[in-house]
Amino acid sequence: MRHKKNPVDLIFLLVSGLASLSVIALIVGILFTLISESSLSIEKFGLWGFISSTDWNPVKESFGAATNLFGTAITTVLSILIAVPVAIGIAIFVTEIAPNFLKGPIGAAIELLAAIPSIIYGMWGLFTLAPIMANYIEPALQKSIGSLPLVGMLFEGTPMGIDLLTASVILSIMIIPFTASISRDAFNLTPAVIKESAYALGATKWEVVRSIVLPYSKLGVFGGIVLSLGRALGETMAVAFVLGNNHQITSSLFDAAATITVTLANEFTEADTDIYLSSLFYLALLLFLMSFIILALAKFFILKAERKYP
Amino acid sequence: MNDNIKIEVRRLNFYYSGALHVLKDISFSMYKNTVTALIGPSGCGKTTFLRCLNRMHDLYPGNRYEGEIWMDDDNILDNDIDHIGLRSKVGMVFQKPTPFPMSIFENIAFGLKLMGIKKKTEIAERVERALKDAALWEETADILNKFALSLSGGQQQRLCIARAIAVEPEVILMDEPCSALDPIATAKIEDLITELTKRYTVIIVTHNMQQAARVSEYTGFFMMGKLIEFDTTQKIFTAPSDKMTEDYITGRFG
Repeated sequence: MRHKKNPVDLIFLLVSGLASLSVIALIVGILFTLISESSLSIEKFGLWGFISSTDWNPVKESFGAATNLFGTAITTVLSILIAVPVAIGIAIFVTEIAPNFLKGPIGAAIELLAAIPSIIYGMWGLFTLAPIMANYIEPALQKSIGSLPLVGMLFEGTPMGIDLLTASVILSIMIIPFTASISRDAFNLTPAVIKESAYALGATKWEVVRSIVLPYSKLGVFGGIVLSLGRALGETMAVAFVLGNNHQITSSLFDAAATITVTLANEFTEADTDIYLSSLFYLALLLFLMSFIILALAKFFILKAERKYP
Repeated sequence: MNDNIKIEVRRLNFYYSGALHVLKDISFSMYKNTVTALIGPSGCGKTTFLRCLNRMHDLYPGNRYEGEIWMDDDNILDNDIDHIGLRSKVGMVFQKPTPFPMSIFENIAFGLKLMGIKKKTEIAERVERALKDAALWEETADILNKFALSLSGGQQQRLCIARAIAVEPEVILMDEPCSALDPIATAKIEDLITELTKRYTVIIVTHNMQQAARVSEYTGFFMMGKLIEFDTTQKIFTAPSDKMTEDYITGRFG
């Protein structure tokens, strides 16, 4: 008997194949647009020249990405530092500690938090969080740890509330639900019988969480952190409201700054010269590559860890 | 209380959350340095009973006990009983091997660290002793730092036994410890159980009649949440006084 090609199968193969190809085509297309649009700026400033220059001067037509990279790096790292402990705390509470009647409502609240559009976070940040930061939290920080050597310089200057710290806090609030719900799912995958084995040896709740649940789910938690990192890196609207869009590299978290995304959102309408526009595209290209590298690194680490802990 | 009695159960009733009445009026005693086997058809309550002895049911909300379980001079169902302390006195081995996601050495050191032992030399000594007592030392002495999940199923189960005895409990509960193992691994565990009675009181739930007959001195037959008969294993298997027990052990149902 010979195998006959079924026409429906063939169509199905074609449609699904095209659908997946379109994803690759999109990525290549976007990358191509970014490169071609930024070619003018790439030629003029080069890679290292663009990355290392702190100049962002449309009048002199001299552009460098350093201030934007600085703002993006600081807000991203700081927001992860704030968000991860809180998110893991939430996940531990929901999976291991909360009584049943609380688990549902808290879980729903986390998901709701994740569903709020980022521009609303931005507005809330500008009108509510920024004044709170400026009037209470930042002066308190300045008074307490602001006088310490080395760390102190992070908290210099006048607390305005429109600065790196506020932007990081907003970002962290935005990524907490993601990290928390992914961590919660990861914690829930710990087999009950493994936890029971630890309890049977006389472990307390905290010892079970620390020694069994966390090691068991660290891959999932790590995945959640990386996803949040990607989100923080690309987040625009929430940050645009409270960062102040000032191209500078500062030592104090109480200063305004600029991130790649905020610069892009604010300045496309003002870009009146070719080199200005091209430099903005160059920034976008850098952001694209950074996101790509972070995701690739994450995949690499997760694969490596999976081989170690099957 | 009779000096030879380790655990005395008095009119124990147990309800899962939702008022599901699973154990009904159970009273009997388990003796020091013996193996007591609990047999009965699936769903008869024998595992539920076993998990009362280390208050495992308290990990989940809504479960309720009635009656008394005396272990030495304490009623372990009292409200002010410290569950953590109780569980360090009552070890447990589960149906499937449950090694922790860490090395062989760390698996056993885990319980020791919980006890507050910090001296490295003491931990190493007790890990070695536990592995020797669990007849696993020869196979693992050179690979203590290997991931515990790389061991075979039978080795993993002996590791779990080693982990339980490393903290030197007084009672060891075993919930069908051989159900996931092949006959050779099962024979090794059974030898080990016999060996363990020199120092521990063992209570084992099993579906395997021959296993109960081989390893235990006493046997309790459970059915539908009741203890139908409790006696010496010899008596249960040769001259049971209850018709249901006889039907069950001769394989007429269950």
